[in-house]
Amino acid sequence: MLTKIQTLNTEFLQAIENIKDQKQLEDLRIVYLSRNGSIASLFEELKNVPKEEKPLLGKELNRLRNLAEEKFAEKKSEFEKLLTKKSQQIDLTLPGRKVELGHKHLLTQTLDEIKSIFKGLGFSIFEGPELESDYYNFEALNFPADHPARDMQDTFFVNKNFLLRTHTSPVQVRLMEKLQPPLRAIMPGKVYRNEAISSRSHCMFHQVEGLCVDTDITFAELKGTLVAFTKQFYGKDLNYRFRPSFFPFTEPSAEMDITCFLCKGKGCRVCKHSGWLEILGCGMVDPNVFDYAKYDNEKYTGYAFGMGIERTAMLKYGITDIRTFFENDVRFLKQF
Amino acid sequence: MKISLNWLKEYIDLTDIDVEEIVSKLTMSGLEVESVENQIEMFKNFIVGFVEEKEKHPNADKLSLCVVNNGTEKLKVVCGAPNVAAGQKVVFAQIGAVVPNSGMKISKAKIRGAESNGMLCSESELGLSEDHSGIIVLDQSIKEGTSVSEALHLNDVLFEIGVTPNRADALSHIGVARDLAAIFQRELKLPKVSIPKSEKNINDFASIEIIDTENCPRYSAKVLLNVEIKESPDWLKRRLKAIGLRPINNIVDITNFVLHEVGQPLHAFDLDKLAKQKIVVKKAAADSLFTTLDAKERKLNENVLMICDGEKPVAVAGVMGGENSEVTSSTKNILIESAYFNPTSVRKTSKYLGLSTDAAYRFERGTDPSSTVYAAERAAQLMAELSGGEVVNGFIDVYPNRISEKEITLRFHQVERVLGYTVPNENIKNILASLGFEIKNVSGDSITVSTPTFRPDVEREIDLIEEIARINNYDTIPTISKIAIPISEKIDESAFVDDLRTIATGLGFNEILSIPMITEKAADIFGKPVGLLNPQGSEMGYLRTSLLASALPVVEKNINVGEKNIKLFEIGKVFLKVNDDLFTFSDFVEEERFLFLLTGKISEKEWYTGERDFDFYDLKSFVNECFQKKTLDNLLNDSYYHNGNKIFDYFFTKSFGTTVLGSGGKVKKEVLKQFGIQQDVFCFEGSVEVLKSITPKGRAFTGLLRFPKVMKDFAFIFEKDIPVENVASFIKKKGSGILKAVHPFDVFEHASIGETKKSVAFNLSYFDAERTLTDEEVDKDFQSLIEIVKKEFKAVLRGK
Repeated sequence: MLTKIQTLNTEFLQAIENIKDQKQLEDLRIVYLSRNGSIASLFEELKNVPKEEKPLLGKELNRLRNLAEEKFAEKKSEFEKLLTKKSQQIDLTLPGRKVELGHKHLLTQTLDEIKSIFKGLGFSIFEGPELESDYYNFEALNFPADHPARDMQDTFFVNKNFLLRTHTSPVQVRLMEKLQPPLRAIMPGKVYRNEAISSRSHCMFHQVEGLCVDTDITFAELKGTLVAFTKQFYGKDLNYRFRPSFFPFTEPSAEMDITCFLCKGKGCRVCKHSGWLEILGCGMVDPNVFDYAKYDNEKYTGYAFGMGIERTAMLKYGITDIRTFFENDVRFLKQF
Repeated sequence: MKISLNWLKEYIDLTDIDVEEIVSKLTMSGLEVESVENQIEMFKNFIVGFVEEKEKHPNADKLSLCVVNNGTEKLKVVCGAPNVAAGQKVVFAQIGAVVPNSGMKISKAKIRGAESNGMLCSESELGLSEDHSGIIVLDQSIKEGTSVSEALHLNDVLFEIGVTPNRADALSHIGVARDLAAIFQRELKLPKVSIPKSEKNINDFASIEIIDTENCPRYSAKVLLNVEIKESPDWLKRRLKAIGLRPINNIVDITNFVLHEVGQPLHAFDLDKLAKQKIVVKKAAADSLFTTLDAKERKLNENVLMICDGEKPVAVAGVMGGENSEVTSSTKNILIESAYFNPTSVRKTSKYLGLSTDAAYRFERGTDPSSTVYAAERAAQLMAELSGGEVVNGFIDVYPNRISEKEITLRFHQVERVLGYTVPNENIKNILASLGFEIKNVSGDSITVSTPTFRPDVEREIDLIEEIARINNYDTIPTISKIAIPISEKIDESAFVDDLRTIATGLGFNEILSIPMITEKAADIFGKPVGLLNPQGSEMGYLRTSLLASALPVVEKNINVGEKNIKLFEIGKVFLKVNDDLFTFSDFVEEERFLFLLTGKISEKEWYTGERDFDFYDLKSFVNECFQKKTLDNLLNDSYYHNGNKIFDYFFTKSFGTTVLGSGGKVKKEVLKQFGIQQDVFCFEGSVEVLKSITPKGRAFTGLLRFPKVMKDFAFIFEKDIPVENVASFIKKKGSGILKAVHPFDVFEHASIGETKKSVAFNLSYFDAERTLTDEEVDKDFQSLIEIVKKEFKAVLRGK
C-alpha cells in the first residue's frame, strides 16, 4: 500500500508539471482529487489494511492529498494570472506612430562637411551676392574686357553692368576690399553658367571659393592645405597631382586632380580614361588682383582656390545625373 | 586642338621617348592632353584582305557573301556595300577589331543565316572621312595580310590638347614642340626656308596700304605667279587629315599646313581678282553686305576690320576670306597674306558675325607679330614646290605699329617667396632660354630677359615664375605639412541659416534647392522681376521675386511622381527691382529668404488615427516653433488677414514692431492652377535678414518656477465672428498680475447653441514666481473675469 501511495505521488508530480492549460488541469483534478479519483480510492483501500499500519499509511495518504490540493491551487492561480495578463497585453508588433525627421539637401550636407574641414584649418566663412556687377565678376579678377578668357564662362547677363555671377571668386574681391590681411576664408555659394542643361552640366551649381593672404603664403602651403582637405574629404589613401592651368586671377595657376576612385586610376568612363578626376582649380593670387584690392604686392602673397560641389557629391554618392539635385524629388531628398 | 606626333617629330627628336611620357610631361607642364588616339592600336585588327569570291546572299537582296583571303586563311564574310567585287583588295576588320566610328567590336556572327567572320570597311567606318557610299578599294600592289596602319600610313599618335586661353603660342606644332624642347632640354629645329631667285620684283605686282593701323599693326605679303591648282601630295593630305582637316587643293592646303605648323594664319588671294592688285586694310562701311568663303552673305558694321582691294572688300580681316577673291581651279597668280591683327578687334568681329574659324581663334588669342614674314615665305616655298609657281622676289611688309619685345627682370628670391622652395639660378636661366626668352643680363640676385613676341601672356616677374614652375613640374614644389594660423576672430556668415536649416529639419521639413529662374507668368504673380538678356528659353527668363515661385514647380513635380504629402523648406535668394533700370547695386535688392511649405496630408490612414490634411494651424505652429527656437516668440506679433491677397486666400503676418518678418497662409487656387497643382498648399515666406536682425544675440537663463501653478477652466458661448484671440488677449489683459497665460482649448459649434454662436473653453494659469497663491485670490480674479467677459462679448458662461 505504501508503495502504491509513493507511486501515485511520483506520477502526480510528473503529470502536474506537464499541464499546459486550465482544461487539462481540471481533467487532472478529476483523475486525482474527485470523489472517485485515485486518492479517494486509496482512502477506500485504507479501510481494509491492518489496524497497526493505518496511522502511518493514513498520514502518508493525507500528506499526498494535501500536496495535490496545494499543487492544484498553485497551478490554478498561475493560469489565472496568465489570463489577466493576456487580456491586458498590447501588440508590440504594430508599427510605431509615425514621426519623420526632415533632411537637409545632399548639397547642403556636402557643403557642411567641406565647411567643417576648412573651419578646422582655421578658415572663416563669408558669403556674397549672386547678382553681381561685371566689375567684381570679371574686371577686378583680371579678366580684361573682350578677352577670350571670358569665353571660359558662359554668362547670364541682366544688362551691360550686371550678371549672375559665374563663379564665387568675386567674393574674394569683396572680402579684400573689406578686410586687411591676414585672411583665411572660404566663400561658398550658388553660381550660374549659360550652359545647356544635361546630365553633366546645369545652368546653376555651387562652388566653394578659398582665399588665404598673409606675408608668407607660398605655393607649397597651398599644396599642403589642399592636400590636407582632400585627404579628409575623399580619404587618406588617394593619390593627387597639381597640373598647370590658367585662371586670370591666379598666377601660377593649377588644377588639382585625384586618382579616380571608381576605377582606382585604371581609366574608366567617368575619368575619361585618364585615371584622374579634376576636383578643383587653384593658384597664387595674381598681383593684378592685389592691385585692384590695394594690397601691397611686395608685402603680401596669397593663394586662392575654387571647387564645384555638385561634381564632388556626384562622385562621392554615385549620382550620374546632375539634374537630380535640382528636381528635388522628395524620394531623393529623403535618401540622405 | 589636335597635334600629330609624327608631325611634331619634324621639329624635335622624340624617338627615344615613349608616348605615355610625352603625354604626362605635356599635361604636367600646362598643355593638358585630354585624349590620345594611337592609330597603330586603333587599327590593330584591321588588315588588307583580298576578295576571292563574291555571290549574292540567298536571303537578302542587298547583302553579298564573300570569301576573303587575309594572307593566311580564307574566311566567309557577309558584306552590305554596293561596290564590293571579287578581285578587290579591301580593308578587312577581323574578329576582335573595334570599329572607330561606332565603337562596335567585331565578332563572329550569323547574318540572315550566313556565317560572317569580319567586316569590310568604308572610310566612314574607319573615321577617315564622312564617305560611307562603299568600302575602300585599295591598290592591287598591296599584299593581303599587310596591316592597314602600314598600307594607309595610319601610324600616327594624335593628342587632343586643351590649350588654355593664355597660351596663344602653343596653338601650333612648333609651339608644342617648343615646350617639349624646354621640358626635355632638347634642340628645337625650325624648318629652313629657301626660295629660288626670280627676276621679277614684288612691287610691280601688288601694293599694300593700311588705313587702320591700330587694328592691323602689320601686314606682310608674298606673290606667286603661274601656279597650277591641283590636289596636294599624299604627305600633305595625310598631315591635314590626321588633325581632322579636309584637304581642298594644294594652295589652300599649304595655308592650313603653315597655320598648324607655325601658328600664323595665312590667306591666299587670287591676285587677278584683286582690283588694281592692291590691298587696303580698313573698317567696313556700316550695314554693308559681304559674302564670305562659306557662301553666306553677312551684314557688317563699322567696327569690322576688312581687307579690301582697290575697289571692294575681299576678306573679313583675321576671320574669313571672301567668295569674290577665292582661289579656284583656274587661279594662276597668288597673293599670300600674313598679317598681325589686333586680338580684341578680331574677337569682336568673330563674336559679332558668330563666325569662329581656326584663324580667328589664333588672332584673338594673339599671334606672333614677328613671324608674319617667315610664315609667308614658308608658304611661298611650299607653293613653289607643290604648284610649280614662281615666287616673285622680295616681300611686302607694312609694319606701321611696331610691337617690340619686352624686358622683364626676375629677382631670384621672388621664386622662393612665391613657390616655397629654392630653384637654382642656373635652372631658371636654362628654362627661360629654352622657351625662347633672350637672356639680357644675369646678376647675383636677378636675371633680365627679353620676352619673345610669341608670348604676349608673359609680361611680369610673376609670369616668369610660372614658366619656371610649370616646366619644372609642380610635383617638385614641396607639399608642406604644417601651417601657421593667425589667432584672430573666426567669422561664419553662414552659421545663422545653417541653424535655421537644423531647426527646419528637426520639424520634419525636407530641404529643396530650386532654380531661381522662372517664367514671366510666374514672375508677374509675385512682383516686379529682374529679367535676363540671354535666358535659356522663355521658361527661365526672369529671376524669382519669391521663393514660392520656384518652389511650386518642385511641388508639382513631386505630386506627379506620387509624392503628394510633403513638407518642404528652402533658404535662398530673391531678386527685387527697386528701379526699372539697373545701373547700381541700389537699383535692386537681393534678399535671402526662407520658405516653409506644406501640402497634402499630415497623416494617412493609420491604425491609431484617421487621415487628416495639412491646414493653416499646422503651418502656424511649425512657424511659431521655429521662432520659439530662435527665442523670438515673445517679441513678435501676429496680424491676421481673413480676406487674403493676390497670393493667399487668407494669411497671417509676423512682425517685430513695424518690421514685417514674413507672411504665410493658404495659397490661392488660381495661383496653384498656373503651376498645375490641384491640392491645397500652405506656406510661409520670410526674410532671413530681418530674422537675423531681430534675433536676440545673447541668451539669459530664466529661473524655473518653484511654486505651484493653479489652473482654472471656463467656457463661454459668444458670436462666431468674434476671434478667439481677441477674447483670450482680453482676458489676459483684464486679469490680475498673477494670471500668467490664457489658452483656448476647446471650440464647439452646433445648432443647439445657436447657428451664429460658438462655444470656446479657456484654460487659465495662475502663478507667482515668489510665493504660493491662495485659493481666495485666484478665485476672486477668476470670478471677476467671468463677469467682465460676459459683459464685454455678450457671452454666456457654459455649464452653470
